Amino acid sequence: MDVGVIVKAALDVNVLRSDPSGRISIESIPLVISEYDRNAIYEGAKICEVTGGKLYIYSVLTWGPMERKLKDFENVIREALALGGEEAFTVVDKAINSSEPMYTSEILAKLISKYGSPKLILAGEASTDMTSSTLAPYLAAKLGYNVATFVKELKLGNGSIEVLRDADDRMERLSLQLPAVVSVTGEINTPRLPTLIQIRRAFRKPLHKFTLADLELSPIISRYEDYKVVTVKRKNIIIEDESIEAVADKLIDHLIQEGVVKR
Amino acid sequence: MKVLVVLDNIKYIPDVHGFIERAGLVDATLVAVSNVDVDDGFDRVYKVGDVSSDILVKLGADVDGFDLYLAPHSKKCIEALSFYAGSKGIPIVTEVVDYSEEEGRIFRNILSGRGLVSYKFVTPMAITVASGKFKGSISRSPEVVERDVTPASRLIATEEKKFGGVDIENADIVVGVGRGFKAKEDLDMAFELAKILGGEVGCSRPIAADYHWLDEDRWIGISGKKIRGKLYIAIGISGAPQHIMAANDVKVIVAINKDKNAPIFEYTDYGVVADLYQFLPVFLERLKSKLGV
Repeated sequence: MDVGVIVKAALDVNVLRSDPSGRISIESIPLVISEYDRNAIYEGAKICEVTGGKLYIYSVLTWGPMERKLKDFENVIREALALGGEEAFTVVDKAINSSEPMYTSEILAKLISKYGSPKLILAGEASTDMTSSTLAPYLAAKLGYNVATFVKELKLGNGSIEVLRDADDRMERLSLQLPAVVSVTGEINTPRLPTLIQIRRAFRKPLHKFTLADLELSPIISRYEDYKVVTVKRKNIIIEDESIEAVADKLIDHLIQEGVVKR
Repeated sequence: MKVLVVLDNIKYIPDVHGFIERAGLVDATLVAVSNVDVDDGFDRVYKVGDVSSDILVKLGADVDGFDLYLAPHSKKCIEALSFYAGSKGIPIVTEVVDYSEEEGRIFRNILSGRGLVSYKFVTPMAITVASGKFKGSISRSPEVVERDVTPASRLIATEEKKFGGVDIENADIVVGVGRGFKAKEDLDMAFELAKILGGEVGCSRPIAADYHWLDEDRWIGISGKKIRGKLYIAIGISGAPQHIMAANDVKVIVAINKDKNAPIFEYTDYGVVADLYQFLPVFLERLKSKLGV
């Protein structure tokens, strides 16, 4: 059975950059693969191995400007292919300036329906940069698929799947008919690091890039968003001294001064 | 104005009522869809089999045409609300932490809590409200209507999570433990520190989810618990974005880690670059003598 995995090239949260007015300068933050997408790819690869299906990677470059982000985006997709994807279908277009799930799902739904239409689509439970957890269910509705989110166990049945999903204060075992979109948590598996051979092979795998026009979609301009850096700044003081004892004493003094530890 | 609220637990009602009050919507018609009994705070309650996947789509005309779709930021509500928003092409914003009347905008945290994104508050819109950010209470006697609908995903069984009954979310002081600890017994040092400070022990994902050294109610992360007390001491925790985001509301953050390049140091007020096995015994000793315990 063919499986599709949604991959996001997410803003690297460890490299935050902003302009003097406090706006996040998205254009200068590098992109990396969104963490739980690795789990989704690994889970998809396992299913394809058992069923003899093909693993498709689907992705949209949501962060601009396109020219500056393209290299990072391609690296993310190559990583996804090295981790087990066989063929990647992506959308790259100057006219996309929004990471809102509403727009991304619309593009992904078109892309998936046109190329491959696998009956099982996997995604990470949340992206590392936006952590909204909305994409999988939003996309499922657009595709007319069933949905299950925050899944930490997935079993393939006959035209159906059985999942164990996190429901906050308990776990729920669910059965749902395919086609379905499933978002997976970090516990579902431990993804293997790709080997050198897999990385080299990834460069020979097909990576298709489409524009919005190719998919008969109009430019996607967000009417809603405005990004700012949170003003809460940390002090970032590294306590150093000649001995561990002196460091411990200094830390205790700081905590007492802050009023968080009472003498 | 008509507001539809999706609920899977009544403990979230103050959060959604708080948002409704802040957004000046107390005069709106309030309708709830819930799988638990709700006897106050709404004009009408649709009681359904479960709240997840396509339940709202199945309710059809009962829930269509509202100006605002509101839910707590619980996993099943996110799923049900996002699926409905997707079926109608409605914008959705999750885990909203603030509302500004002058700007007509709502706010949420991004990038591990280091960034804030605001969205125009429009209608129709779907929103999940962050826990503990809004507090309100609206009293109304609802008309309760039973609807015999269940989601497309069929519930086979439920499994209890292992909880130790610890509430780190409301603890003033939390001592966090991560993979820097080499054995479960070594966590005793963290428990001793928490005891001296009058706090609780929390942990990073691997400690709860992979090693199972501690119960899941101690897990600090976007998939675990969020903490917002006055002090967090992260020990042997490198600082995955999901962990940091869940600790971002804490007033003072301290990190102890032997790797000076660990990402956690970027998010801390006070950092100590040291092997926890060397530092903690000394720190405990000095703390006890200074505090006289």
